[in-house]
Amino acid sequence: MKSAQFDLSGKRVLVTGGTGFIGGRLVERLILEHKADVRVLVRNFARAPRIARFSIEMVHGDVTKPGDVERAVAGCEIVFHCAYGNQGSREMRRLVNVEGTENVLAAALQAGVKRVVHLSTLMVYGATSDGDLDETAPRRYSGNSYADTKLDAEKVAFDYVERHSLPVAVLQPTVVYGPFAPVWAVGVLHRLKTERMILVNGGNGLCNAVYIDDAVSAILLAAVREEAVGEAFLICGEQPITWRDFYSRYARMLGAAEMVSMSAAELLEAYSAQEQRKTRGILRETLSILREEPLVRQRILRTSEAALLTKVARSLLPKQIRQSLKRRLKSNDRASQPRTAPEGEKPIRPMRPSVVQFYAPKTRVCIDKAKRILGYQPTFDFESGMRLTEQWARWANLLGE
Amino acid sequence: MEKLTLAIVGCGAIAKGIHLPVAALSDLVEVTVLVDKFLPRARELADKYGVPAVADDYRDVIGKVDAAIVALPNYLHAPVTLDLLQSGIHVLVEKPMALKTSECDEMIEAVRNTGAVLAVGLVRRFYKSSQFVKQIIENGLLGNILGFDCREGIIYRWAVASGAMLRKETAGGGVFVDMGIHVLDLLLWWLGDYDSVEYYDDAMGGVEADCELYLQLQCGASGVVELSRTRNLRNSWIIRGERGTLEVESGFNPLVHLETKNQGVVLTGQVTRDGAADKNLRDVFRRQLDDFVDAIRSHREPFVPGREGKRSVELIETCLASRQPLKQPWMFPERLEYGVLEGALP
Repeated sequence: MKSAQFDLSGKRVLVTGGTGFIGGRLVERLILEHKADVRVLVRNFARAPRIARFSIEMVHGDVTKPGDVERAVAGCEIVFHCAYGNQGSREMRRLVNVEGTENVLAAALQAGVKRVVHLSTLMVYGATSDGDLDETAPRRYSGNSYADTKLDAEKVAFDYVERHSLPVAVLQPTVVYGPFAPVWAVGVLHRLKTERMILVNGGNGLCNAVYIDDAVSAILLAAVREEAVGEAFLICGEQPITWRDFYSRYARMLGAAEMVSMSAAELLEAYSAQEQRKTRGILRETLSILREEPLVRQRILRTSEAALLTKVARSLLPKQIRQSLKRRLKSNDRASQPRTAPEGEKPIRPMRPSVVQFYAPKTRVCIDKAKRILGYQPTFDFESGMRLTEQWARWANLLGE
Repeated sequence: MEKLTLAIVGCGAIAKGIHLPVAALSDLVEVTVLVDKFLPRARELADKYGVPAVADDYRDVIGKVDAAIVALPNYLHAPVTLDLLQSGIHVLVEKPMALKTSECDEMIEAVRNTGAVLAVGLVRRFYKSSQFVKQIIENGLLGNILGFDCREGIIYRWAVASGAMLRKETAGGGVFVDMGIHVLDLLLWWLGDYDSVEYYDDAMGGVEADCELYLQLQCGASGVVELSRTRNLRNSWIIRGERGTLEVESGFNPLVHLETKNQGVVLTGQVTRDGAADKNLRDVFRRQLDDFVDAIRSHREPFVPGREGKRSVELIETCLASRQPLKQPWMFPERLEYGVLEGALP
């Protein structure tokens, strides 16, 4: 694809999440390809060295603060909303992902912004099945707080299109990998170095990978194509690969890495057996339900009794105990604790059912709509994307001990 | 003995985290005023440490203090320090002492004319390990030095109070100016002046996050320095001599490995003085402050005078004048069309 076939030259644009992986590469290409006049909303300057290499305007602020967002949006023609929260409590993620999106859209509406590109995710479709998946598939909550809050954010975006005629385009990238990818490059390499990775069903499930530059090309197109407004687009590479191929390619970079094949059924059984071993009292069971069911928890916490209990607890319990309870209530990471492994052997981390469901299906993500309406055409196949990723990973000192 | 009165000019991360806590605990100085353009920041710290006065203009301290620590954004180091020196105030200036050698010369000249003390905050010279390396090399324990290899990089997480460190106008540069000044200062201090240098970085209109230098030194040694804000690197110096190799980790209290050639004998440990290693970076800054005060009291040069501070500024200036783009193939994949930003393409 000729990525310079349209012109964002000289346009004043805002990128939220510009210090992150996708937003960071977007900033680079907005400047290198389009000479756009780029402004970035920066929450934490310590994360900004990559984008500070360019002559850009950095506005200090946070998407959760409407005043900050208004200042950042003012005077911009196009807003790329890439900021998201994937850390801290569920409440924090909700605040960043849902209210943050609302703040950006409200400011864009007020400022008369001509286009907002909202970055969503494949995960809004919840657990997918074998076969083709396109944008007509139903969106589903999955219990994963990132996915669920991104789904709510997407709803907010379409609400702004319908109620306020705000020109928003929504992109749903799949597994985005490439230089600096926190999950699908840095995270994968780290896991392969420190544990024996489980390949669900031998890694036969399909990995809908997309190289960062293809994802960014789609984002740029969504900013200029008229027909993109009010639409959602799945963004993926041309051909899916298997998860076995995906992980093996990284293992090859490292020289060697041990992977273990387990069937989905085996993994689900192991998980439920592990859960059953923990005999629980009623309090523990209640806490566990509260932990696993965010909607139930939220509804209960909203009752006046819960508010009273929280208040009492806050005034009676020492700070340390309060914090540890809070942590236990919120953490759903028990499953990620490594099983003890014999000395010298890397541990195998048990997999939560939602993760098994992510790796198991042979889902094929269709990008026909993005091709037809955006003119999107991926230019990196897995091998060429991975070649650049490997060059970067070696340079980034990630392939050594 | 009466304490020297001290102003801290600039209340950013380094003042808040280091200079002020160190000075507050010192028996030699009394911090009497905090200066910051953004007064609430100065006031907050003044309240916490019981500093009696704040000001939003450094000129307000002239005539009111004996000495000042200048910890402003880089581009202000030279003009503010010069003004204070010319007003007879002794200055400990954060590194880099200036962004240009011409400014260094003016500052050195001001010291000559006024008799005020100018100390440059190249704090790594106060690390016990740095002084150990200096002595090992000077005493000839490694023989003639053949080569060196310095890789220093951590994924940036310095709790910057503003974006000043990341803006070209205020910082003067990125990792090279910020961290490089320390590294190059040690290099020149340990191994002597350079002969020639090749310099590569990744700045494209802003400040560099990564850079590489290839240096040929007058002593005959050659080597590489690689610095990064985006990668975790080895974080050590390796210095190879005819008789052995020395590896020193970065950081204020590092492990030092000394290996003698052909013997396979290795010594590994921490450098101590009077039986103790530094426990906190503030211990090192306390020595720097003590030296500054002693220089004022004894009318002597500080451990790192302007003349020494100028050496690394000069090397940085030379490098930036002959800068070449760092090769990062993933930045400019052949499959994408580029070419609009002149000077950015490798």
